[in-house]
Amino acid sequence: MSMAASWVEVEFEAIFREHYQRMVRVTRRVLRCDSEAEEVCTEVFLRLYRSGPGVAAGGLVGGWLYRTATRASIDALRANQRHSLEEELEGASSGPNEDSADGPLTRLLRGERIAEVRTVLTRLRVEKAQILLLRYSGLSYKEIAEAMQISANSVGTMLARAEAEFSTLYERRHQFSRKTSQLETAKERR
Amino acid sequence: MKHSDLNQGILRAYLDCQLDPEHVSAVEEHVNNCAACQREVRVLGEYAACVREGLDRLPQLPEAANVAIAWAAFQRKREDAMASEQSKWTLWKKLSLAGGGLAVAGLVLALTVAPVRAWAESLLAIFRVEHFTVLEINPDTLKSNGPQNNQMLNQTVGRMLSDEVTVTQKPQKPQLVADAAAASKLAGFPVQLLSGATPAALVFEGGAGVQMKLDQDRLQSILDEAGRNDLHIPSSINGATIGVRVPAGIMAFYGNCGDAPSRLLGQASDSDHQHHVVVGIGGGSNKSHQEADATCVALMELPSPTVSAPAEIDPAQIAQVVLQFLGMSANDAASFTQTVDWTSTLVLPVVRGGSSYEQVHVNGNEGALLRPAGPRQSDRFSLMWVENGIVHALNGTGDDTTAINLASQLE
Repeated sequence: MSMAASWVEVEFEAIFREHYQRMVRVTRRVLRCDSEAEEVCTEVFLRLYRSGPGVAAGGLVGGWLYRTATRASIDALRANQRHSLEEELEGASSGPNEDSADGPLTRLLRGERIAEVRTVLTRLRVEKAQILLLRYSGLSYKEIAEAMQISANSVGTMLARAEAEFSTLYERRHQFSRKTSQLETAKERR
Repeated sequence: MKHSDLNQGILRAYLDCQLDPEHVSAVEEHVNNCAACQREVRVLGEYAACVREGLDRLPQLPEAANVAIAWAAFQRKREDAMASEQSKWTLWKKLSLAGGGLAVAGLVLALTVAPVRAWAESLLAIFRVEHFTVLEINPDTLKSNGPQNNQMLNQTVGRMLSDEVTVTQKPQKPQLVADAAAASKLAGFPVQLLSGATPAALVFEGGAGVQMKLDQDRLQSILDEAGRNDLHIPSSINGATIGVRVPAGIMAFYGNCGDAPSRLLGQASDSDHQHHVVVGIGGGSNKSHQEADATCVALMELPSPTVSAPAEIDPAQIAQVVLQFLGMSANDAASFTQTVDWTSTLVLPVVRGGSSYEQVHVNGNEGALLRPAGPRQSDRFSLMWVENGIVHALNGTGDDTTAINLASQLE
C-alpha cells in the first residue's frame, strides 16, 4: 500500500468544484454566517488534501466530504454555543440593535427559534444531528449511507430515531420557552 | 409482505419514497391493510414534520458562493497550511518514538493493527514512566476487528489527531552532535554512551509539547467504527484537555544501522513519512528502507514524557476501555487495571505469538526485554528500563546476556 501518492491537481480541483457549493449550503444551516461555513468547508478540503487520494479511491469521496463537513460544522456549533452563552452572561445588558427592516421583537423571536433548533441539534449525539442535517439538505438515503458509512438499510431506522429524539427535545424546549414568556408577560401585567 | 418483515426503518424509507422500486408495492399493500403500521407511519410522519418545521427555520444560502473564488482562496490557504504542517506530524512520530521506544529503529513490535497501537500509545504512554509492564494480547481478538476496518479507522484516528491537537512546543529538526558532553549540554541531563565505542551517529532531538482536547463523542465513534459499540468512553473525559510534554532526548547508533539515522534526521524521503504518519503512527508499513544488520545497536535516552490531565480523569477507567478494545474480557480488564499504577507505568502491548518478553534487571532497575517471534528476527532484542528518571531503550542483536551486558556498559 503506497502512502506516498499525492493528488493530481486537476482531479482535486474537479472534486472541489463538484462538492464545494453544496457543502457550504449544508453547513451554513447550522453555522452563524457564510464566512464561517466557508471556513469549515475549506478546512475539510484541506484535510482531504492531506489524507491523499486514498479516500477517493473507492469512489466515496463525496460521502467522506459530507460526513466530515457535517461533523465539523456540528463541532463548530457546539463551540459557538459555549461562546454565545459566555457572551450572554457578559453582555446581558446590551440591547438588540434596531437597524433591521423587521421590528426588534420579530427579529428577537426569529433569532430565538433558530437558537432553539441549534441547541437541540447540539444535544443529540453527533451522528444523529448529522443524519438530520444531511437528509434535510436533500441527500438521498443512498448518499447518506455513503456519507455515514452505514448500510443503506439502516438509514431509515437511524433517521427515524434521530427524528423522534429531535422532536421530543424540540417540543420540550418549545413548551418551556412559551411558558417562560407567558410568565414574563404575567409579571409585567402585575 | 408479512408484518414481521417490516420495521421502523422500512416504514420511514417508505414515507420518504426511498424504498427500492420492487419493494414499494408490497409495503404499500401491507400498510393499507394494517392498522398498527398505519399508526406507526403517522407517528413517523409527525416526527418528520416537526424536524422539517425546525430545520426549515435555519438559514440557507440564497446564492451559491462563487466556486472559482473559493477555489483560489482554498489554494492560498493550502499553501500556508502545508508550510506549518510538517511540524505537527513530526511531533507525533516523535511521541510514538518516545512512548516507550515502541517504534525505535530496527525493531517493530508485532502489533499489526495500527489504530490499536495509536490508541495504546496515545492513551497509555502519556503518564510519567517509571516502570514497564508487558501485556499479552490474543491476536485472534485483534483480527476480528482489524483488517476490514483498518484503513478507515486509521483515517479516523489520524483526523482526530489533526483536529484536536494543538502544538504547545514545536519540535525542532533533529541534529547531529559530536559527543556525550555536547549531547548532555543540549539535552539537559547526563547522557550516557557505551564505553569504549564511538557512535556512528549521535542525534539530538529537541523537546516538544502538545495539548489534546478529548471529545467523548469522537472517541466513541472510533469505537463504534471498530464495531465495538458495546464499549463506552467515560463521560468524565469529555472536554478535558490533556497536555503532553516530551523532553529533549538523544538517539545513538552504533555499527551498521542502514538508513535509520538519516531517516531520523529527516534526510530520507520526507514526503513519504508524512503520509505514513497520518495513516499509521509509528512503524507498520515499512517501505524499502536500507536494512540494519546484526552489528547495529541503537540506544535511546529520554527523560520520562509527562502528562497533565484534570483530576477528574481516572486513567484506570480509560485503561479498562482500551484493554477491552484490545480483546480482554471486562472482568480480566478490571482485575488487570488494579494491578498497575497507571500514573507511572507504561504498558507495552505485545501480541501473543508475535513477540516474547521477560522482566529483567538492568543495573539494579526493573526492565522489560522484548523480542519479535519468528526465526529470522528472534535474535533481535529491545531492552527498556528507567534509570534515574531517564527512559532507556536499547535495540540490538544477540542473546539476553549480551543485551544486559551492553546496558551495563553505559557511562
